[in-house]
Amino acid sequence: MENNRQLTAQQLMRKVSEAWFYVTDLNLYLDTHPDDTRALRMFAEACENAKACTEAFEKRCYPLTVCSADCDSDWEWLVGVWPSQKMA
Amino acid sequence: MFIFSKMTQIPVKINNKNPRLASYILSQYGGPDGELGASLRYLSQRFAQTDKSGIALLTDIGTEELGHLEMIGSIITQLTKGEGAKSFDRYGVGDYYIDHANGVYPASASGVPFSAAYLQSKADPIADIMEDMAAEQKARATYDNILRMCDDPDVTSIIRYLREREVVHFQRFGELLDRLQSKIR
Ligand SMILES: [Fe+2]
Repeated sequence: MENNRQLTAQQLMRKVSEAWFYVTDLNLYLDTHPDDTRALRMFAEACENAKACTEAFEKRCYPLTVCSADCDSDWEWLVGVWPSQKMA
Repeated sequence: MFIFSKMTQIPVKINNKNPRLASYILSQYGGPDGELGASLRYLSQRFAQTDKSGIALLTDIGTEELGHLEMIGSIITQLTKGEGAKSFDRYGVGDYYIDHANGVYPASASGVPFSAAYLQSKADPIADIMEDMAAEQKARATYDNILRMCDDPDVTSIIRYLREREVVHFQRFGELLDRLQSKIR
């Protein structure tokens, strides 16, 4: 994760969305192939990676889910790009 | 339950404005084969499923479709952001402007408001899954029609992606149908 420091918010977001997309795709596959041991291993790895990418993004940019919002001084949840907006 | 996350399956970033293209893409928001109908169909049908794979697949695909609904809304918003009455009129969609201005309203490209009559819920797993497979094909065909109308590369890349997801959903529903039918045999 060391090289993440050079990435822009947009690049970090792309990594987050790609990582969660991979989770979703494997999730649907496993729903109809629940005994595929190779896919089960891939899924565990995909989830680890998605969590790590999310953490890297949230640390540098803004909270993606409400419990990641910092509430020390103000309501950080309002910060960031909402679905009605486009990334700068 | 659903937990909102401030992200989409792929980032939506459209640089050009085009209210007419937005009005075509609106059909995948609230049209007969759009994402709202898809998510409601699967998230409603799942209550009558008995097979665990069936319950999971309908829940998970229904959830993914809700995310796609959000992406479509985002494309429409970005294509019309800052455009006024005159611009909508020049693009031939002044009638949409009169009723909704820059708002996203669930309707088809031809202006028919969303209706639950687009979907069924029969408490018959085989009948429901067969409807779902047809629905995925119709959604895919609508995305094909949008691609024929669209010459904005920012939009095309997202529409291609969403089209591809319908193909994957069709495949998964087909596997579920085999599973249900082999249980009957
Ligand atoms: Fe779909």
